Amino acid sequence: MKRKVKFDYARWIFVLPALLVVGILLVYPIFSSLYYSMTTKHLIKASYDFIGLENYKAVLSDSNFYKAFLTSILWTVGSLLGQLFIGFTAALAINRVKIGKGIYRTLMIIPWAFPSIVIALSWKWILNGVSGFLPNILVQLGISSELPQFLSDSSLVFLTLIFINVWFGAPMIMVNVLSALQTIPQDQYEAAQIDGASKFQQFWHITVPHIKVVVGLLVVLRTIWVFNNFDIIYLLTGGGPANATTTVPVYAYNMGWGTKLLGRSSAVTVLLLAFLLLVCLVYFTIIGKWEKEDK
Amino acid sequence: MRRKLAVLLVGTMIGSAMLAGCGQNGNTESKQTAAETGELKGDITFWHSFTQGPRLEVIQETADQFMKDNPDVNITIETFSWGDFYTKWTTGLASGNVPDMSTALPGHVVEMMDAEALVPLDDLIDDIGRDKFSKTALSEGEKDGTCYSLPLYSHAQVMWYRKDLLDAAGLEVPKTWDEFADAAKTLTKDGVYGCSFPCGSNDLMGTRFLNFYVRSGGGSLLTDDLKADLTSDLALDGIRYWLDIYENCSPKDSVNYAVLDQATLFYQGKTAFDFNSGFQIGGVETNSPDLVDQIDCAPLPKINADDPEYGAETSNIPMVVWENSEHPEICKEFIKKLYEKDTYIKFLEATPVGMLPSITGISDTPEYKENETVQKFSNAVDVITKTMDMGTAIGFEKGPSVQAGLLTSQGIIESMFQDIITNGTDVEKAAQTAEDKLNEVFSTVQ
Amino acid sequence: MTNQKEKIGNGLCHVYLIILSVIAFFPLVWVLLCSVKSSGELTANPTRFLPKHFTLENFTHVIQDLGFAGNISNSLIIAISTTCIAIVVSSMAAYGIVRFFPKLGSIMSKVLVATYMFPPILLAIPYSMVMAKLGFVNTRVGLVIVYLSFSVPYAVWMLVGFFKTVPLGIEEAARVDGANKLQTFVRIVLPLVMPGIVATAIYTFINAWNEFLYSLILINSTDKMTVSVALKSLQGSEILNWGDMMAASALVVVPSVIFFMFIQNKIAGGMTDGAVK
Repeated sequence: MKRKVKFDYARWIFVLPALLVVGILLVYPIFSSLYYSMTTKHLIKASYDFIGLENYKAVLSDSNFYKAFLTSILWTVGSLLGQLFIGFTAALAINRVKIGKGIYRTLMIIPWAFPSIVIALSWKWILNGVSGFLPNILVQLGISSELPQFLSDSSLVFLTLIFINVWFGAPMIMVNVLSALQTIPQDQYEAAQIDGASKFQQFWHITVPHIKVVVGLLVVLRTIWVFNNFDIIYLLTGGGPANATTTVPVYAYNMGWGTKLLGRSSAVTVLLLAFLLLVCLVYFTIIGKWEKEDK
Repeated sequence: MRRKLAVLLVGTMIGSAMLAGCGQNGNTESKQTAAETGELKGDITFWHSFTQGPRLEVIQETADQFMKDNPDVNITIETFSWGDFYTKWTTGLASGNVPDMSTALPGHVVEMMDAEALVPLDDLIDDIGRDKFSKTALSEGEKDGTCYSLPLYSHAQVMWYRKDLLDAAGLEVPKTWDEFADAAKTLTKDGVYGCSFPCGSNDLMGTRFLNFYVRSGGGSLLTDDLKADLTSDLALDGIRYWLDIYENCSPKDSVNYAVLDQATLFYQGKTAFDFNSGFQIGGVETNSPDLVDQIDCAPLPKINADDPEYGAETSNIPMVVWENSEHPEICKEFIKKLYEKDTYIKFLEATPVGMLPSITGISDTPEYKENETVQKFSNAVDVITKTMDMGTAIGFEKGPSVQAGLLTSQGIIESMFQDIITNGTDVEKAAQTAEDKLNEVFSTVQ
Repeated sequence: MTNQKEKIGNGLCHVYLIILSVIAFFPLVWVLLCSVKSSGELTANPTRFLPKHFTLENFTHVIQDLGFAGNISNSLIIAISTTCIAIVVSSMAAYGIVRFFPKLGSIMSKVLVATYMFPPILLAIPYSMVMAKLGFVNTRVGLVIVYLSFSVPYAVWMLVGFFKTVPLGIEEAARVDGANKLQTFVRIVLPLVMPGIVATAIYTFINAWNEFLYSLILINSTDKMTVSVALKSLQGSEILNWGDMMAASALVVVPSVIFFMFIQNKIAGGMTDGAVK
């Protein structure tokens, strides 16, 4: 039927608006960033020169960049493992209990509703090193002898940030895993029970295969989100103390708005993008395989 | 089901209609310029950093009055905190979205001049009376003999203390840094900290405190050829001095403090000493009214008791007019209005003692003197005024320079302190690293 | 025996879930409690739960003096507009990809996911320049356009999966009845994927409502600021008033939480359902 029409305008009308949005709003900025990354572009000065790959050289020879990169990886992996573990176990637990399912789910979904600035303000206040609830209660209960400095003690700050990110991100994992769990036909478990499979075997052979594609996609989306996330760290610690929590986006921000070397800052973000593309390529290959196995 | 879609579409339309409306009244810039007759006509935008309270109101009232007197003029006022303001104007310059006029910080002005973003204001300064301004204050916004900014108000950093706490411990007001450290250590008890040492990397507090010490020894954080100098014996002593204060008298959280976190502790009576300008009074008044009678200030401590008097950090808060402005003449007229005696005194009174006059012929008028706070804190006014005349903005003792601005805006010295405190890095090594990093940043502006 | 084990297991689950729930909702409770305490009390009794003197002065200050209600309405206008436009544009595109460009479709979806990867920081400066060129600097329209750039690809990606579930046979039947492509789309297909559209709309709304970086950089006027930026600027105002900040936070977060509680069944699985199917 389609072949009869020589050129079908109608079908283009459907996709055109989206193509325009993506084209104008993503392609142009990305090419301009690519271009700036090869110039001496300064945030507040008009003139700049083309310098080829000098900015990349400068970035790749800066030890602070590698430190930020490592911090980013730790921050992403740590947050993701935490979010997956908590989200997953919470979903399994809710799926198992018979009473209070709805209440638990409703309470646990709350962090998801927090915009990043409110996450930052509320936790900063709870953890405040002088008048915060948590440090003071820990001292009153005799658990700590002096006020713990969750956001400024270098041995605590990174874990604190990961904890907050897990607190924020786990509900999303939980909700998605829970809905995937509910699509698993109950009779498969019953059949397995009759065959004498243990709980763990049931989990491994029935539950996991059913939800692994969902979890895989969640991992991809969350990896991208956490890796690119700027707000939470910027608002909670600004990358400090002593750059202990400076991730690549924070490093790029400081480069662009602090030092005002916009060219070099663009080079950092281009590298960040290249890395993410690579990671996602790997992810998608794995998920693609899983999907084929399913079929 | 169709109804749902209809709702969706109508929603979209309403949404876009609302937006279109907003867009129209958003950025309408009238293209008219002042007629030859001298009548002012046009819209200007004024960004300032007086985010709350009486200062904001006085500026707004003045603008309203100005618009009444000049019916064809429209002044839009936007306020940003100092931190956001820096992000705003730097991004704004990149995209051509800056105001017509604004307040600024001396360190910013040098960068603005360097980016050729400002309009010369010599005619305005002459109009108000060049001899009324302090020469140093004007020189902070001067490039190649042209002035690009003028000071709106001034203040200086001095040492603030709690009289009741000192009395209770039988201590004198410290005159040297050693006495200060001893007193601060003695007063650190019962939930009160002797003195907080702030070094959050989003603010310049660490640089400010280090600069006090270095200036007290007659040194500077910049060399004569405008390189960073953190490795002189004096600077290293200064770093060690503040580390000692941090270890013994400061809340540990202060490693992340910015100016407000620091000041708030004093406002709430949680610190015995602090370094600040006369703004301290207003803060204590709002937070802990009972403590207002218990605070006073004194000159900054010295290294040896017989060292000469000195001033470390004076801030002359400047006003600038932006090159992008289509109506610099309106901006200048409006600024002139702010300096008219009545308006100016009313403005200063919004934060008495906190903001001191930048022009002569104000402080000795009866209107200025009759303010209650000014009378009550006459000692503070004297101390701050005296210190003010001796100091400069951080790094400006070597003349206004972009380097001086970068010294405070990059958080490098703060990161150095954080590095020593949290990672136990050797002081000399950390100072060397920070010095190199600053010099590297300096090299990007040449 | 197994029953005993089952019971213990269930009990442990409850304990675990109760602990998690408390951690999850404690910050909300604390924000609410602190928002009705005076600032003196906040610092004097850091661990006291209930306020000694209940006060609404933080709220009146935030709403009346700081005009926070205006910021909330800005955020609402911007988020709703973004959502509506994004949903119309994206559902058309998703349908178009599924129905008319089946081969190109899988490539397009990959490209769309790739756009989700662009670090927002990378785009901030180019966006502010594009907006300046279009004359949309410092306007809510400009912000909506920017938000579309990341909501449309994400929404299309989610919706493609949902549209794939619509059997071709239904459409062909409609086509035989004389309906054109648009009519088929509106009358037949859309109703079938409505649950997916609702889920996508909610995600788009949440992302736009929570956005921070672009609104920080692109909006200069106090009266156009979104709540996120207005809240941020409270932190930098001249007096650090945690009572105000908690009250403002409560004003933002309570409606969000209520909204989430109502829609939680709709978003369940929405994020990945479409993509998986």
